[in-house]
Amino acid sequence: MIDQVGTLRNLLADKDLLVAVGPGGVGKTTISAAMGLEAARRGRTVLVLTIDPAKRLAQALGLTGLDDQVQEVSTEELAVGGVDVPGKLYAAMLDTGRSFDALMARVAPNAQARERILNNRVYRAMAGTLARSHAYIAMERLYEAMDDPRFDLVIHDTPPTRNAIEILDAPGTLMAFLEDNVVKWFVRRPASGLRAKLWATGSAAVTRLLGLLAGQEFLDEIVAFFESFYELREGFRERAERARAYLRHPRSSFVVVSSADPSNLEDALALADGIRSRGVMIEAAVFNRAYEPLGEDPLEVVTSVDRVDAATRIERVWEDASSASVVRRLMVGVERVVAEAAAANARAVETTTKFNLSERTERVFVARLEDDIRDLEGLHRLSPWLCREG
Amino acid sequence: MDLGASTALCFTRIGGTPPSLVSFLDPAALLDRRLLLFTGKGGVGKSTVVAALALEAARRGRRPLIVELGHRHTMKSIFGVGELGYEPSPVGRGVHAMQLEFDGALTDYMNEHVKVPRLARRVLANQALRRFFEAAPAVGEIATLNKLSALERERRGGAPRWDLIFVDLDATGHALMLLNLAKVMDGLVGDGPLRRLLDGFSVLLNDPRKTMLSLVTLPRDLPAQETVELYTTLCSDHRIARGALFINQIPSLHIDDEALTFLDPLQDRAEALDDHELSRDVEITRRMLMVRARAQGQVSRLEGAIEMPVVKLEQQVSSHLSLDDVAAIGEVAVAQLEAHRD
Repeated sequence: MIDQVGTLRNLLADKDLLVAVGPGGVGKTTISAAMGLEAARRGRTVLVLTIDPAKRLAQALGLTGLDDQVQEVSTEELAVGGVDVPGKLYAAMLDTGRSFDALMARVAPNAQARERILNNRVYRAMAGTLARSHAYIAMERLYEAMDDPRFDLVIHDTPPTRNAIEILDAPGTLMAFLEDNVVKWFVRRPASGLRAKLWATGSAAVTRLLGLLAGQEFLDEIVAFFESFYELREGFRERAERARAYLRHPRSSFVVVSSADPSNLEDALALADGIRSRGVMIEAAVFNRAYEPLGEDPLEVVTSVDRVDAATRIERVWEDASSASVVRRLMVGVERVVAEAAAANARAVETTTKFNLSERTERVFVARLEDDIRDLEGLHRLSPWLCREG
Repeated sequence: MDLGASTALCFTRIGGTPPSLVSFLDPAALLDRRLLLFTGKGGVGKSTVVAALALEAARRGRRPLIVELGHRHTMKSIFGVGELGYEPSPVGRGVHAMQLEFDGALTDYMNEHVKVPRLARRVLANQALRRFFEAAPAVGEIATLNKLSALERERRGGAPRWDLIFVDLDATGHALMLLNLAKVMDGLVGDGPLRRLLDGFSVLLNDPRKTMLSLVTLPRDLPAQETVELYTTLCSDHRIARGALFINQIPSLHIDDEALTFLDPLQDRAEALDDHELSRDVEITRRMLMVRARAQGQVSRLEGAIEMPVVKLEQQVSSHLSLDDVAAIGEVAVAQLEAHRD
């Protein structure tokens, strides 16, 4: 069933960057954190960058504050339980509002430029409130993390589906945006020939139009925004180029995380296609909560069970005639439960065969665990699935 | 939190609704609205709920339209049709569906508001400007809302073309983004067509006779948590009328309570007889019982924290639902809503 056993384990051992992508609600953050812990257990120093971890998982990772600072995750609780973590695990949360401000502050050439952009109303409306800015921030955090000599593996948990592709495109979009002179369009300065030329080529009509649609005040603010933005372009360009290079580096890889649910799979497949069409390899697909462990070996995906006829069984098992009919009902029910679970496993296996990305891709099935994962021990429980021995 | 008080407060804020209207504004009468928005974490089965309700609305003689936003392509597999386009097309059983793409919505917006067609074409053909629209936030949201309100206004033969427009919003964040749009743009946009447009959206979104936002969730810890948080935000920050809460995929176990009292004795027997298979099966049943109990706990938590009519939908055994299955879910869901009404 599992085609390329051990790929994910090797990725955790060798890569510099793993980007986890997938539809929402499949446990992407949990899998990212579990991969991080697993790599740390193998001696690496790992940073897990998450977008919006569920509260309990955030607590488990020590991300209790509202800031976006990198925190070292204490693995003491695991050591007590006899699990050795020779590496180090760090985590950081992506807080879009703050990160955007930090980004602007970093790329601004001087304090004046920084104040101008941070106080611009268009900028304020943009930062944090609107989803698209996630992509730029994710890119920026990535850049920062990759340049930090402390970490030898960065695991980047991304926002759901569409935005994951935007993260790939963000550096390019941003650069194209700067290079296409779009920004210059809106910039009143320099007073030299540029603006005059643009007006002459007809953009005046368009600018006027925008003024008409949105109101002069809005247009003025947009112009001011782009003017501030224009000053930052060099800083941006440099970062965008490096982020793009990191994402496409041979020591980077993408891991798709999905459930085995058909609608999630459809989204995940569309996403995988989008990523591959941008020339990026996907080397592992993790199907979280994909099956019910039914066999002796919890890692085995049991897809059919022998059915013993309840009537035969009750003859053998139950002697008390007065309760035989109730127990028969129970046995029929029990058989049905097990048969349904096996059938669901079979369907999960069947639907995920569509996810045939390449021969090198490992498909990892993770069992449905009894509890939601809320601490490091819980994350550690995923270890046998993520790192199967080849 | 005193839910009773906060709900009352929310209701008053909807705008001094006269008491006689209250029953008319009952969220249980969901299908009497024009614009039904649905939100919830990815993977909670939102699309199935939307398709099911649309099928039921059509069965009751209404003309429903399902609007799928952006990149999601779930409706085509539910209805077993080809790729959906920007133009509404019939997908079966009296239901229409469309894909609301950014490009189409932007084109509509331009054509509508730029009265000189040549200029509109020029704006749309301009690569640089297109990039600007793609990169600039809020443009997508404005174009989306613009299209939704156009669909709501659209008339054919003197009557609205669509009785009901179901909008499958892809995530909680997305829903809040649309609802926040007017606020985000407040103070930025001066008088002009854009201002009037934004005001128009607010009026439509906050008219409880027309628009309702329903929530879809799962009886699991994290989705339930997120739903409760979203509900709290909706109550404190938004005026949109709240529809129903759909709790999807509630696990069921078809073994009656009397039979279950024999689970322990049965396990004892299985062990005494060294019947591994039976022991394993009983063990699995216990796990499933636990799963069910935990889900019930989440249902109670949701019911306790959220003052909205609840529709409880059982987990489906088959993973690929036929259209009949989906239609049956719709029937069950609307029947439950009607029971809330009585």
